[in-house]
Amino acid sequence: MASPQLGKAAAKQRRHWDRKWIPYALLAPALITIFVIILSPLATTIYYSFSNIDLIRDRTTFVGLDNYVELFGSRLFWKAVEVNLKFAAIVVTVPTLIGLFFALLLVENFTGRSIGRTLLILPWALPWIVVGLLWNWVVNAQFGALNGLLYSLGLIEKYIPFMADEDLALIFTALASAWRQTSFSAILLLAALQTIPEDLYDAAKVDGAGMRARFRFITFAWLRPTLTIVLLYNVVLGFLQFDAVWIMTQGGPGDATMLISVLLYRYTFINFDLGMGAAVSNVLGLITMGVGLIFVRLIYRSQATYA
Amino acid sequence: MNRSYREYCQAIVRKLAIYLAFFCLLFWVGFPVYYMLITSFMNSRELGAKPPNWIPTQPTIENYREVVMGETAIRGAHSSHGEFSRMMPALLNSAFVSVAVVFSNLIIGGMAAYAFSRFDFRLSRIVYLGVLMTRVLPALSLIVPLFIILRRLALINTLWALVLTYTIFILPLTIWILREYFDTLARDIEEMALIDGATRWQAFRMVVAPLAVPGLIAVGVMSFMEAWSEFFFALTLTNSLTYPPLLMSYRNLAQVNWNGLAAATTIGVLPPVTVAFVFQRYLVRGLSEGAVKG
Repeated sequence: MASPQLGKAAAKQRRHWDRKWIPYALLAPALITIFVIILSPLATTIYYSFSNIDLIRDRTTFVGLDNYVELFGSRLFWKAVEVNLKFAAIVVTVPTLIGLFFALLLVENFTGRSIGRTLLILPWALPWIVVGLLWNWVVNAQFGALNGLLYSLGLIEKYIPFMADEDLALIFTALASAWRQTSFSAILLLAALQTIPEDLYDAAKVDGAGMRARFRFITFAWLRPTLTIVLLYNVVLGFLQFDAVWIMTQGGPGDATMLISVLLYRYTFINFDLGMGAAVSNVLGLITMGVGLIFVRLIYRSQATYA
Repeated sequence: MNRSYREYCQAIVRKLAIYLAFFCLLFWVGFPVYYMLITSFMNSRELGAKPPNWIPTQPTIENYREVVMGETAIRGAHSSHGEFSRMMPALLNSAFVSVAVVFSNLIIGGMAAYAFSRFDFRLSRIVYLGVLMTRVLPALSLIVPLFIILRRLALINTLWALVLTYTIFILPLTIWILREYFDTLARDIEEMALIDGATRWQAFRMVVAPLAVPGLIAVGVMSFMEAWSEFFFALTLTNSLTYPPLLMSYRNLAQVNWNGLAAATTIGVLPPVTVAFVFQRYLVRGLSEGAVKG
């Protein structure tokens, strides 16, 4: 047998030579495209937000913080913030709670479990635009499924135009988003539940722990990291949702479902005020980046614990 | 005796609770989907029935025929103005874009993930974090500069504009998940191959790639779903060339042919739903590893 020491040294030497350029070559396509498609537009958006852009005369003037001052002074912006906070509250709580409920159900042993697990994926497999459309059918005032159901059960005398009411419109658009996100949350939580070692429960039973204690100290404790991540995902969605709301209400009735993203769309594509649109973008970006930073920190902390 | 009776009752109550919860799950997931399905098999007269016919009395596949043949459906007040003629081409476009994104994403993302996993180079940690952070940027906010760049590249209103942007926006997730996979794959086997005189490429192809197949499938499936579903870029960077924005444009017609729309929606979700069901296992694994670990 040739000396392994020698072979290792040779390999080490070759790897050392590798190191110089191979990783950069491997990364180049990803980094260059990310730079062109994401980072340079990002820089442009930041620059736009400090500018007044006259599309007709094709002139861009630097205006400092004017756009932000105008934005923070406008009634419309604070309305969008208010609407978005309410929307996010539903999109964070409903999927987390119902998702946890479904995950706890689907980890039990019963006939129909595999059907349940497969069906659970269905909402997640649908594009957001289809989710919005489905819920359009649910809440429609002339032939909606919800009206039909309530009518069939004899709970209402005539059909209700749900989406004409400002509060209901916000609730139902949020529920549509929550519907798909529930599947995502449940999938993650279920995957985490399945990794709990059975002997933990057995040991706790031997020690005389009741059902409630077992849930609190084993199930819930085990799920906590996943729950945190699920919550963060749901917060990000609460602020980035656009498609499903756009197809359902386009921000209406009035401004009742005008999320920050919808306001951004209005400034950019309806008023063609690119400077203001960019300012809204950056505010929205800061919110989600803030959540993202918490996210990355958590991940690094958990890595440090397990390493 | 008393104790076993109590246990028996508990078991019954547990069963009841489980099936009640199961019914809730079926209803929550199934109700909106079921209503769209029955609408797609109804004619427009039956749609107005009050209370609704929960099972269509005269089921018809006419709506599906109209969508597939791209016909103008003029039925009384409901007219779709021949818009369905764009549906099948849009589905083909969606299929092309999605498949192209899967491959470009796996190649570019796989290379980058492998670099992050196996090499310790300058700034690797900070670059990695930077790549991950791009994932939480609101894509909506980049649209104007992106439009200008793509116009300069003469890609506006082409499918390549979508292939390019989707690939890049999915890259962070791909890199994240694949790096995890590469990290867990036995490094010593690869080292052994290197010692035995294999080049890095050979070691990758013969040792790493085969072991990474589940991860590659998971990532491939997820990028397929994302590409198939994307709405906003397809709306703004192209003239509604793919399925989601086209669906939106039917929705906005003054006289919507709801039954036809239901049929069009159903046809268009078949590919992602089929992919999700077939690759369920990989998908769940990819999703949870991508989301939870890091």
